[in-house]
Amino acid sequence: MDYFRKVLGAPQDVQTTSGAETIERLCERVSSSTLLDDRRDAVRALKALSKKFRLEVGTQAMDILLNVLEQDRGDSEIIGYTLDTLYHVMSNEPTDEGTYQYWSNMAGTDLGGQFTEIFIKHAENVHLLLTFLEEYDFHVRWPTVKLLTVLLTNRQKELQEIILVVPMGVSRLMDLLSDSREIIRNDALLLLNQLTKGHANIQKIVAFDNAFERIIDIVRDEGATDGGIVVEDCLLLLQNLLRNNASNQNFFKEGSYIQKLKPFFHLDDDPHSKQAGWSAQKVTNMHLLLQLVRTLVSPNNPQNQTVACQKVMNQCGLLQDLCSILMASGVPADVLTETINTVSEVIRGSQINQEYFASVLAPSTPPRPAIVVLLMSMVNEKQPFVLRCAVLYCFQSFLYKNEVGQSQIIQTLLPTAADAHSITAGQLLCGGLFSSDPLSNWFAAVALLHAIVENSTQKEQLLRVQLATSLGSPPVSLLQQCCNMLSQGGKLQTRIGLLMILCGWLADCPIAVSHFLSNTANVPYLISQVSASEGDEHEAIVQGLCAFLLGICMLYNDDTSEAFTKTALKQIIQNRIGLESFTDKLTQVAQNENYTRAAKKPHLYHKHPSEIVFDYEFTRLFKSLENEVLKAVSGTGSSINGRKGGGPSTEQYKHLLKDQEDQLILLRQRVEELQNHTIDADRSIVELRSQVQQLKDQNALLKAQKGSHSSPPLPQPAVSNFSAEEVESLRREVEILKLQLQETNNQLLNSNLDGDENKENNPDSAAVLQASLARQQGELKNKDEEIINLQLELEKVNILLKQKSSEPTDSVGPDTTSEAETRLQATEEKLHSVTEEKQSLQERLKKSNEENLKLANTIRVMEDEKLAAEEEKKTLKEDLETLRKEQDDLLVLLADQDTKIDKYKTKLKELGQEVEDDDDDDDDLGDDNEDDLDAD
Amino acid sequence: MSYAYLFKYIIIGDTGVGKSCLLLQFTDKRFQPVHDLTIGVEFGARMITIDGKQIKLQIWDTAGQESFRSITRSYYRGAAGALLVYDITRRDTFNHLTTWLEDARQHSNSNMVIMLIGNKSDLEARREVKKEEGEAFAREHGLIFMETSAKTAANVEEAFINTAKEIYQKIQDGVFDINNEANGIKIGPQHSPASQSLNVGGSGGNQGGNCC
Repeated sequence: MDYFRKVLGAPQDVQTTSGAETIERLCERVSSSTLLDDRRDAVRALKALSKKFRLEVGTQAMDILLNVLEQDRGDSEIIGYTLDTLYHVMSNEPTDEGTYQYWSNMAGTDLGGQFTEIFIKHAENVHLLLTFLEEYDFHVRWPTVKLLTVLLTNRQKELQEIILVVPMGVSRLMDLLSDSREIIRNDALLLLNQLTKGHANIQKIVAFDNAFERIIDIVRDEGATDGGIVVEDCLLLLQNLLRNNASNQNFFKEGSYIQKLKPFFHLDDDPHSKQAGWSAQKVTNMHLLLQLVRTLVSPNNPQNQTVACQKVMNQCGLLQDLCSILMASGVPADVLTETINTVSEVIRGSQINQEYFASVLAPSTPPRPAIVVLLMSMVNEKQPFVLRCAVLYCFQSFLYKNEVGQSQIIQTLLPTAADAHSITAGQLLCGGLFSSDPLSNWFAAVALLHAIVENSTQKEQLLRVQLATSLGSPPVSLLQQCCNMLSQGGKLQTRIGLLMILCGWLADCPIAVSHFLSNTANVPYLISQVSASEGDEHEAIVQGLCAFLLGICMLYNDDTSEAFTKTALKQIIQNRIGLESFTDKLTQVAQNENYTRAAKKPHLYHKHPSEIVFDYEFTRLFKSLENEVLKAVSGTGSSINGRKGGGPSTEQYKHLLKDQEDQLILLRQRVEELQNHTIDADRSIVELRSQVQQLKDQNALLKAQKGSHSSPPLPQPAVSNFSAEEVESLRREVEILKLQLQETNNQLLNSNLDGDENKENNPDSAAVLQASLARQQGELKNKDEEIINLQLELEKVNILLKQKSSEPTDSVGPDTTSEAETRLQATEEKLHSVTEEKQSLQERLKKSNEENLKLANTIRVMEDEKLAAEEEKKTLKEDLETLRKEQDDLLVLLADQDTKIDKYKTKLKELGQEVEDDDDDDDDLGDDNEDDLDAD
Repeated sequence: MSYAYLFKYIIIGDTGVGKSCLLLQFTDKRFQPVHDLTIGVEFGARMITIDGKQIKLQIWDTAGQESFRSITRSYYRGAAGALLVYDITRRDTFNHLTTWLEDARQHSNSNMVIMLIGNKSDLEARREVKKEEGEAFAREHGLIFMETSAKTAANVEEAFINTAKEIYQKIQDGVFDINNEANGIKIGPQHSPASQSLNVGGSGGNQGGNCC
């Protein structure tokens, strides 16, 4: 040990050399000695020197020490010394011997990091360390934990990947939490904190290995928020495991761990402990606990996840406990602020939780709703700034997606509901809006904006609000009072707040627009603002917002105001301001740094009052209406290409594509409808045809029936026709016979005249002739009789027919004739109409077919268009990509440049040159760089 | 939501065999034809009833890709049950079972119940692995076997529940050390000896039963 003492006592310059020499000698001993005791002593000596001579020990002894770890595993003592030595070499933490820190500083700031790199170059070294964890001996396990922690601290990503690959690597580290020795368990917490930072897969494995259960148990055993720094470490670890890790959040919720958190929020009712106040550690613990809750219900989480957690938090009573902290006395302001933020996120967008929050009463006399009490602090200048921000956030969260809540708040402003005795939210908001404190103005304006946002009913209700300004003068509407205040100038935050509420109020509410325009002073004021020459950054915001308000007046103008119709306003903007200037002013708003900050998340995470400019909800409104305003003002209607910038154009194409797709879908539906229609039409045609056929058949059947009916009892008209024909033919026969008779008579006469001589020749023929004549005459007579009979019969039939047709009702028998006739007629008419219908249907079918063809064509055209648009989108994306790459390259170049400049500067400094001028340049460069980033 | 026991499961097997779909079908009763590649591990949970007892299943669905193998290995030790899944329409996923099984046996506790699952039984036309082959493999290695379809939900419930029954039986037989949480089994809050002793003194002995 004496060489050791010698070293410590020596003067500084000698110390380095002699230290290095000693270390060299020790290293030699460790590597060459065959005796374990010898080696152990040497390592112990190295350990003693390692804090002071980090560089020397690290460079000379590293390999030798690693060798010891492998060779001398059996001896826990030497392993313990070795691990300690390595720990000292790697650790950048300031040691107790602060005076000697000087040496390590000389060798650069990250000596530990460099040694860590050397150590982990061979992953086996880390594997080896993990196997040491199986050793229960305190002298091995504890330094292993510490060494691993410092390795993780120095080279986190690399270590995480190495440990992840080792089988059971993470699990072995998790097991350390069950170590009965508190110091190991506590250091294991630190180790796990480093291990899980930013590595979702390790976080999940740790959670799988029951981390939640064990950590919550430790928190409980350590006395929850009253516990010490171990509780803080536990809560940090929990947060590490849950932040941005949906799977673990789900596991946390499913494992009922939210319920297990609940008791930690229960404040001690004991008045003595209240008096004692909150220790700094308790404040920290409570803070972390609250942040843990917020991690689970963050608005940035997947919505279903947040909703499920919110529900559990209400059911298990955690929300109730949070609200009682809110209303408790003696809670430190920063804890109170964080509690308000937490309550905000637990109720945000959850109807049940919002309802519960609305019902919470503050324990004042008389009891007031918690909302009112909170708003009182929001509009109170004396309250801490962050607390006021938290209250606004809470109020916003209460109104988020909560139409009932919105109407409740607006109700308190309306004259009918006004209760003179109690303070209402509405009164407080009005008070804040017109107070002399610009921050109160801003808070109240934004709060009011949230009470009417996306709720046109409440926008209209708010128009009814009248304010009594001073005694004697007539009341002024709230809207007009806002305008008046705006035109009076005032602080930036006052004006921005007023402009935001006005924009939100007038947007999507034509009635409010016409109210606004009815005061002829309002538009000229806005014009004067927008056309003013550019001021500083803040004035630019006001001008941009005025332009936006003007645009909204145009966009939601129902032309009821004669002086400022849509076209008139457009004219005014184009003539008095100019399109170019208007567009510039408007687009400046979204380019503002404060705008991007506010648009990130709903939570108001401002640190200083001057950072208060935009509201998150307003940025959403602005984003959604900016392009529409520009379109409306530029006026061509289809000015999609008129807008500038590469950024929004992809957006436009996306819109276009979406429109086209929608149209396509519509057309497809249309085609389908028409096809169905044609099918229906076809079907009805077939039906009608069959009907026609049926009718025809029926017809035929009826005819047949008629025939069968007529013959047996009475001759039917068709048959009577037939008998008439018979009569005719008979007549003709008679005629022929008569002619024949005449002929024969003539013949007879002739034969009588010149036939006396023939008498002798033909004595018989005359007799024959006469006989035949007589016979024929008889026959004729018969025929005549027959004819007469038939005629009679015919007449009878005719009469009967007439009778039947004249008195169809009288007919008792099967007199289907007349009936059939009418039916026949009816069916014939039907047939006629059916054929007509059929014809028209066929025509319609033809038309719809044509229409189908046309639609198919349009669809094809649209699809082509869509393809083209998609291609264009692709090229645009590629452009964007190349630009990004270029920017990255530039950034790299810049960084190089920076380092070079640094080098030169140091060189210059070394040369004794003054380098202040360069500093300025350097700053400028940096600023430019930042601006570039912001612009993106 | 109280439970008598809590079992931890893991689902393993080649990529694309339908592990995530099985889990989704079991927890959400729906089928998602297009599923993103699982990155690392995803968590799901559901309550089932066995023998009149509420049993909570916590299931970790692992990524099948080779590159995630080291992550997957970290989950074996703490699991009480594993569903080893192959795709009956892809012979190679069946061929890889031996590797999976070796991995599982090496890193898990020896009592872990492994259920072999031939998934996609709805795609009979494209079948490449016969049911008998799966049965034979399971018999040879002492696994339970089942063919399922995450798409039609056929046998999905049974797969998870039968695995739980097997674990439950092992607990009844005293094979599992239920006090060692590293086995992937936990006794429910109202069933643990500590709260039972509390109940004994309480007025209502069946209070614990009521809150189920």
